[in-house]
Amino acid sequence: MTFPLGPLLPLIALIAPLAIGLLAAIPATRARSLALLPLAPLPALALAFFGTQDETTLAPDLLLGVTLTLDGNARYFLGFVALLWMGAGLYATAYMRDKPKIAPFVGFWCMTLCGNLGVFLAADIITFYVSFAVVSLCAYLLVVHDGTQRALHAGIVYIVLAVLGETCLLLGFLIGAAAADSLLIVDVRIALTDAPGGEAAIALLIVGFGLKAGMFPFHVWLPLAHPAAPVPASAVLSGAIVKAGIFGLMQFLPMESGLSLWGALLVITGLVSAYYGVAVGLTQRNPKSVLAYSTISQMGLVLALIGAAAGATPADNLAAATLLSLHHGFAKGALFLSVGIVAASGRRAAVPALAAAALLALSVAGFPGTGGALAKAAMKAHIADPIVYWLVTLSAIGTTLLLARFVMTLAAQVSAQERARPSPIMTASFVALAVAALVSPWFFFTDLAGLPLAYSLSASSILNGLWPVLVGGAIAAAFLRISPSVPSIPEGDLVTPVTKWLRRLDGAARRGRSRLEDLPRPDPGVLAAPLWRAASVAERAFARWSFAGLLMAAGALGVLIALSLQ
Amino acid sequence: MNTALPVLLLATSLVPALVTFFLREESERKRNAVNLAGAFAKLGLVVVMLDGVRRGEDYEFRFAFVPGLEMLLQVDALALLFVTLSAFLWLLTTIYAIAYFRGGSDLSRFFGFFSLCVAATTGIALSGTLITFFIFYELLTLSTWPLVVHKGDAKSLAAGRRYLAYTLAGSAVLLLAIVWLESMTGPVEFAAPSDLRRLDDMTLRFVFALFVLGIGVKAAIFPLHGWLPTAMAAPAPVSALLHAVAVVKAGAFGIVRVIYDVFGIALVAELGVGLPLAFVASFTILYGSVRALQQRDIKKRLAYSTVSQVSYIILGAALAGPFATIGGLVHLVHQGLMKITMFFCAGIFAERAGITSIDGLAGMGRRMPWTAIAFSVAALGMIGVPPIAGFVTKWYLGIGALQAGQTWVIAVLAGSALLNAAYFLPLIYRLWYQPGEDIVRADAQALERPLALIAPPVVTAAAALLAGLMAGLALSPLGWATLIVERTYWP
Repeated sequence: MTFPLGPLLPLIALIAPLAIGLLAAIPATRARSLALLPLAPLPALALAFFGTQDETTLAPDLLLGVTLTLDGNARYFLGFVALLWMGAGLYATAYMRDKPKIAPFVGFWCMTLCGNLGVFLAADIITFYVSFAVVSLCAYLLVVHDGTQRALHAGIVYIVLAVLGETCLLLGFLIGAAAADSLLIVDVRIALTDAPGGEAAIALLIVGFGLKAGMFPFHVWLPLAHPAAPVPASAVLSGAIVKAGIFGLMQFLPMESGLSLWGALLVITGLVSAYYGVAVGLTQRNPKSVLAYSTISQMGLVLALIGAAAGATPADNLAAATLLSLHHGFAKGALFLSVGIVAASGRRAAVPALAAAALLALSVAGFPGTGGALAKAAMKAHIADPIVYWLVTLSAIGTTLLLARFVMTLAAQVSAQERARPSPIMTASFVALAVAALVSPWFFFTDLAGLPLAYSLSASSILNGLWPVLVGGAIAAAFLRISPSVPSIPEGDLVTPVTKWLRRLDGAARRGRSRLEDLPRPDPGVLAAPLWRAASVAERAFARWSFAGLLMAAGALGVLIALSLQ
Repeated sequence: MNTALPVLLLATSLVPALVTFFLREESERKRNAVNLAGAFAKLGLVVVMLDGVRRGEDYEFRFAFVPGLEMLLQVDALALLFVTLSAFLWLLTTIYAIAYFRGGSDLSRFFGFFSLCVAATTGIALSGTLITFFIFYELLTLSTWPLVVHKGDAKSLAAGRRYLAYTLAGSAVLLLAIVWLESMTGPVEFAAPSDLRRLDDMTLRFVFALFVLGIGVKAAIFPLHGWLPTAMAAPAPVSALLHAVAVVKAGAFGIVRVIYDVFGIALVAELGVGLPLAFVASFTILYGSVRALQQRDIKKRLAYSTVSQVSYIILGAALAGPFATIGGLVHLVHQGLMKITMFFCAGIFAERAGITSIDGLAGMGRRMPWTAIAFSVAALGMIGVPPIAGFVTKWYLGIGALQAGQTWVIAVLAGSALLNAAYFLPLIYRLWYQPGEDIVRADAQALERPLALIAPPVVTAAAALLAGLMAGLALSPLGWATLIVERTYWP
C-alpha cells in the first residue's frame, strides 16, 4: 500500500460523495442520508476556491494510478458544477422528501456526482475514462428513477447511446494512449496529432463527447432523458452532466496543432444543433422538454466556439467556452428547478417564480446587463469568421423564441390549488442558482473573456445583445396574437422514425424466418436475421464433435499451407 | 529452495479427495470439515508462497517416476497466478456447494471428485515439464466427468458423453504433439526450454497446430467449443468451477504455457503462428457473443459468454508483447471472478426461485437483492464497465494490440463490448426494472437463504470490483500479471 502523494483535497473531493452515498446503503443511516445531499460537493467547491494550481495528487494503488490535478479551465468547471450540484442537492432534500425509493436516489446521485467531478480533476486518461463512464452510466439510474413507462423508454434510448459513446471514447483513448506511451492526458492530446490512426481517434472522441453534449444528430437521448428524471436530477443532467462532454472535447482535441477539418466540422454541427434545437423545441408542450431542446441549442453554440478554437487562439476560445458553460450551467439548472417550483405554487405564489424564470430566460438569450450577455459577448469576441459570427448572433432570436415558449408552457403548470406554496428550501436553492447565473459572469469576465469589463458595457455590445432579443420578443408577441397551430414533434424527434424503422425491419425479419420455426428467437430488435440463421445451422453441425475436429484440423492445415507458401 | 511446499499444495486437495471417497454418505459433518480444512489450508499455503515468490524464492520438487521421465512440480509466478485463483475460488465454491447440495444424494462421490478436480488443476498449474502437464491434464478430464453427470439423468449423461468425446479426442492430439516434439528434443522443461530452432520450421508449425488443437478443446476455441454449452446440464457449483477455474481455464493456461514456455515468443513470432491464433481467438470472441445473444436460458447464455471471454486470454497470449500478455494473463483471474459470480447467482436463481430462463428474472432485483446486485456487478464487469475488473483487461489488450500493430483487434474488442452489453444489459434491466410478482418481505428473506449460498457470489463480486478499483496494488491481479511479464518474458 502506498499513501497518496501531494495535496489530499482532490481525493477527498471525490471520496466525500461516495461516503455519503454509502450512508444511503446502510439501513441505519438511510433515512438521514437525503439531508446530507447538499454537503456532498462541499470539498470540491472548497477545492475550486482554495486549491493550489497545477499541483498533482497521485494515488498509485487506485485504478492504474490515479493522478489528479487542477489547472486552468478545470477550476471553473469544478466550481460551477459543484455549486450546481449543491443547489440541486438542497432542492432535492425538500423535493424528494416524501417520495419512495430514496436510498437508490441518494446512492446514485452521489455516484453520478463523483464521476462528474472526477472528469474535471483527472490528469490521467484512465481516471478520466472511469469518471466519464461512472457519470454516464449512473445518470441512467437518475433518468429512470420514477420508473414510469416514459422514463423507462427514455432510459433505453439513453443507455444504448451511452454505451455506444463509451465505446467510441475507449477506442479513441486506446489509440491516443498507445501512441503517447503515457497515460497523462496532456501527452495523449499531443500524441493524437501524428498518431497512427490519430484522425480516426479524433473522430471517435468527437462522437463520444459530442453525444454527451447533445450534438446533432446524437442529441436524441437528451430531450427524452432530461425531462423524464425527477426535477433536481433534470437540473444536474442539463446543467452539469452535459458539461462533461464539453470539457472532454476541450481536454482531448489537439487544438494547438490546428485540426482545421475537424474544427470546421465541429463548427457546422454545433450551429446545426443550435438551430435544430430551437426549431424542434418550439413544437414541445412540456416545459422540461423545451428546456432540453434549449440545452441542445446552447451546447451547439459552445461546440461551435470550441470548433473555432482550432487554429487561431485556442486558449482564448476555450476560456470563453468555459464562461459560456458556466453561465449555462447555472441558468439551465435554475430554470429546471423553476419547473418544480411553479408546479408546487398556486396562482399568487407562482408570479414571482415565473418572473424569475423569465429573467433567467433573458439572460440565456443574452439580454444586456445579465450574466448571459457577458458570456455571449465573450463568445462573439472570439469568433473571427463573419458568417459564423452572424449565425451565432441570429441564434439569439431563436433562443428568445424558444425560451418564450418555455415561459408559456411553464405558466400552464401552475397548481390548481390557489394557496399552494413551494417549500422555502426549494425556493432558496432556486434563487441561489438564479443569482449565480445572473451575477457570477461579472466576476470571471475579465479572466475568461480576456477583455476588460468595459467591453461588455460599450454601446455596440449592448446593442448587439439587445436587438436579437427584441426581434425574438416581437415575433413571440405576434405569434401569441395570431396563435397558429403548431405541429407536435415527439420528444427525441429522430428517435421515433428510427425506432419505427427498426421495428418494421425486425418484423420483416421475423416473417421471413417464420418458416424455420425451431430457431431461437433473437433478443434485441435484430438486423442480422440471415447471420442468425447461418449461425444456428452451423452450430448444429458443430455439435457433432467429429465435424468440429475435422474442421479445426482442416483449418490448421490451411494455415500451415498458407505459411509454407510464404 | 523449498521442496515440500509444492507437494503440500497438491496434497491439500488430494488428501481430502481420498478421505472423502472413504466416508459414508451420512457422515456429512466429517465430509464438510475435511473439504473445508483442505480449502483453507491451501489458501494459507498460497499466501505464504505469494510472499515467497515475490521475494524471489524458488519452490520445486522433482522425482523420476519412470526412469527417464521426470516429474517436476515448481511454483513460478505464472503458476501461482493460476493457483491463487483456484485456491480462492475453490474455497468459496466448497462453501457454496455444501449449502447447495444440502440433503442431496451421492455427496461423498461428488465431493471426492470435486477435490480431485481441484488437485488436478493445481497440478496443471505447478507442472514444470510437458509430461507432468499432460498427466494432470488427463486427471482433470477424468475427474470432471463424474461431476458433469452428477445428476444421473439422461441429459447429464448425454452431456457427459459429449464432454468425454471432445476432451479425449483433444487429449489424443495433445499426446501426439508432446510425443512428437519430445522425440525430437528430449523432455521439455518449461523453465529451461530446449532450443527448437534447429528443427525444421514446417514441423514446428505442425506441432504448434497440434498443441493448439489438443488444448483448444478445453479452452473452447471455435470450433471446438461444442461440449461446453451442453455441459450446462451439470449442477451449478460444477458449472461455476468448470467455467471459472478448472477445465476451461486449464485449457487457456496450457496455451499460454505452450506459447511462452515451450516455443517461446520469439520463435512463435518467427514461425508466424501467433497471428492465425489471434484470428481464431478473435473470431471465437465474436462468435461466442453472437451465440450468447441467441440463448433464452440463463446458464446457456453464460456458457456461450465463457466461450467468448476465455478467448481474450488466448488473444492476449497470441498477440505477444508485454501489454497484450498482461491483458491476457490478468483476464485469467478477472474472467474467473466475474464468471463464477454469475454462475453462483444463476444457481441461486434456479435453486431458490426456480428461475432458469431470462424472462423469469423480471422483478427479481427486489426479491433477491444481494444475488441480483452480485449478478449485476459481474455482468457489468464482463461488458467492461469501469471500475470493475473487466475494463483493465480490455485496456491492456487494446494497448497491446496497437503496440503489436494489429489495429483490427481494437475493433474486435469494441464489437465484443457492444455484444456483451447487448446480451447482459437486458438481464440487468429485467432484474431491476421489469415488474415481477409482488414482494412479500418474509418471502424475500426466505429466498436469500442460507448465508453460505448467498455469501460466495457477494464475495466474488466484491473481489471483481476491487480487482479493478485497486488494480494499482502490487498484489492485485494486474500487479501480479505485470510481475510475471517483467520477471519472465520481458525482463
